[in-house]
Amino acid sequence: MDAFDNFLTGTVTLFSDPLGILIFFGGVIGGMLFGAIPGVSMLTLAAILLPFTAHLSAEHGIMLFSVIYCTGVYGGAITAILFNIPGAPENAPTAFDGYPMTLNGQAGKAVGAAVMCSAIGGTVSCIIMMLATAAIADWAISAFGPPEIFALVFFGLAVAASVGAKTFWKGWLSILIGLMVAVVGLDPVGGIERYDFEMPYLLAGIHFIPTILGFFAVSEIFVQAEKKVVGSYVAPKMGVEFPTLKELLAHKIAVIRSIVIGFFCGILPGIGATLAAFMGYNEAVRWSKTPEEFGKGKLEGVISSETANNAATGAAMIPLLALGLPGGALTAMMVGVFQMHDMEPGPLVFINSADLVWVVFAAMFFANISIIFIGFLETKTIINLLRIPFQFLAPMILLLATVGAYAVRGLTIDVVVMFLAGVIGFFLRRSGYSVAGIVLGLILGKIGEQTFAQAMQMLHFEWSGFFDRPIALGLLIVGFITLGGSIYGAFFKTKPPPAPDTAA
Amino acid sequence: MGNLRTGHLVEGALWLTLCLFLYGYSFEFERDIEIYKFGATAWPRTIILLMAIAAVGQLIHHWKYGDGTASNMISAAMDDGAEEAAHEAHHESLGWYMATFALLAIPFIYMRVPDWIAGWISAEGTTLHILRLGFAAILIGVFLTQMRRNMVGAILALPLFFAALLEDMGFYALAPFFIIGVMYLFGETRPKPMIAIMALIYGLLMTLFVKVLFVGLPVGNIHPFYDIGSWVVTVLQ
Repeated sequence: MDAFDNFLTGTVTLFSDPLGILIFFGGVIGGMLFGAIPGVSMLTLAAILLPFTAHLSAEHGIMLFSVIYCTGVYGGAITAILFNIPGAPENAPTAFDGYPMTLNGQAGKAVGAAVMCSAIGGTVSCIIMMLATAAIADWAISAFGPPEIFALVFFGLAVAASVGAKTFWKGWLSILIGLMVAVVGLDPVGGIERYDFEMPYLLAGIHFIPTILGFFAVSEIFVQAEKKVVGSYVAPKMGVEFPTLKELLAHKIAVIRSIVIGFFCGILPGIGATLAAFMGYNEAVRWSKTPEEFGKGKLEGVISSETANNAATGAAMIPLLALGLPGGALTAMMVGVFQMHDMEPGPLVFINSADLVWVVFAAMFFANISIIFIGFLETKTIINLLRIPFQFLAPMILLLATVGAYAVRGLTIDVVVMFLAGVIGFFLRRSGYSVAGIVLGLILGKIGEQTFAQAMQMLHFEWSGFFDRPIALGLLIVGFITLGGSIYGAFFKTKPPPAPDTAA
Repeated sequence: MGNLRTGHLVEGALWLTLCLFLYGYSFEFERDIEIYKFGATAWPRTIILLMAIAAVGQLIHHWKYGDGTASNMISAAMDDGAEEAAHEAHHESLGWYMATFALLAIPFIYMRVPDWIAGWISAEGTTLHILRLGFAAILIGVFLTQMRRNMVGAILALPLFFAALLEDMGFYALAPFFIIGVMYLFGETRPKPMIAIMALIYGLLMTLFVKVLFVGLPVGNIHPFYDIGSWVVTVLQ
């Protein structure tokens, strides 16, 4: 009952403060809008707002970011479905089936499923977070050290290699490019400069926000440009047809499975919603009786991905608040908000600032609930964006992306990096590579190397140390089995090429 | 040769060349770390090795199956139409790639060459600014003459050129031209809608980011662009 009492106290505190209410609704709408507007994301909004949170109380600042996190993860699904531009990496799998649904005239149904499942995933995750924070945090602290996190990163990358690219090899190459980009900068143990080419800018590494904007938003504009120039650009068909309760109930197993996957991925420090979405989607394919229908506009693909990534949002707050470990880009920015208020996230927050924790929990709960109401209303507005001719939308997207890339650090070179990533993404996409794989490699690369180094130091550089850690060993084995299956498929389950084009 | 095409060989060669380059460069930072016996090179070299294996695997795949796809892949990349559009546009020839990379070189020429020349002739201050403006004018001229021959290449190069010019000319002065340029390259040729949409986009962005959110955007550092940027900021704030 303590949790319920604390939740009520947090709710009363949240809604008895006019400024708090304003910030809450501002965060809900802002998160959805920035998640939904092509070319920007909740990360852009968060990066822009970060300096201004110094003028807010710590409670309001953290609450704002947590609300943006919940609704922004949903908002990113709208662009993934309507424009094939995931608002964030965690929405990438949503595009796999969401965009084909849009092209089939089922945009409304896909967005409706995203609304419902984001709200369900996020709310359930929030309730579990409130009920079980202490116990789960204790378990994660004791069970997940660097070897386990490294093993999970490896497993996640092994799964991601078979998603998004044309062949397994291209999937792996995409991930390896991302891992290589993450190497640029200082090495995590000795602080030695790597691949800086004597450019001071590269010493700090290549920032992930311009890279994400470039690979997703900018490369999409370039691809659409080529289609338009050759006359193969087709404006997506519109339709507002939300899924029925019966349709959603038919996918209840997928929802429950994705909640479980999303929650456990979210709770693990450094993993978060991205891997949750990929795993939720991948498991949906694996368990499906008709896996060949995925990638062609299957509702279950959208449901699995969106439930899983929103289920990770509540869980991702646990390592942040309990351990001070951010699970992703936005939670990393939350650490910045804490630091601006001379606070450090960690176990002491629960003792010294219990009010803050429960206001944040209450705000996240109601933000997820509000996705259903505000999400439905806002989505109809967003769908109208499809009516705008692309030649008018393209400069808007490119300029929003420019502001987003520049606002992170105030460096014009970040804008150059973003557009360069867009050009590279364009060439890779037209060759069958996966930009989502590159970005996943980039984000997980730093965590992977850091945890690998910590694990090896911890295990005294004995590889056999992994055998004494069942969770790490299990994850490594499953990762290798996944890899083995993909390699087997690459050599023995490949379809023969289509009939040769005699004109070529 | 199996199902291998020239494009597959070029792709494989590019990957292996990249691996060789990255491996060679890794000797630049091959230093011992007292507390970590693998040093700073083990992780990147492992990635490079895996990259080389994957590149060879990809070549074998192309040799055996051409552009075939494994049935256990979830290939969103195939469904976005990027490959088909490139094929339909005949943008797969060496000539197209050469023309595109020539356009893409323009922003990088602007970012590097004026500084090299300024270094040789010890130009600074106003002289350096005039030199940069002169280079910008020449390169814009080259871009305008080349863009009609390769519209897709121009769309790829224009944002990079815009980004390269941002530091000197600022966001506020360049954005209107950039908006019109993108609209034109996307096929819009009617002047009135172009100007109206440009004013709308520019006004919305300025209001949201400069007036409401107080985001500091680059104002440029060359007159009169710096003055224009500062004036816009003063008016809005």
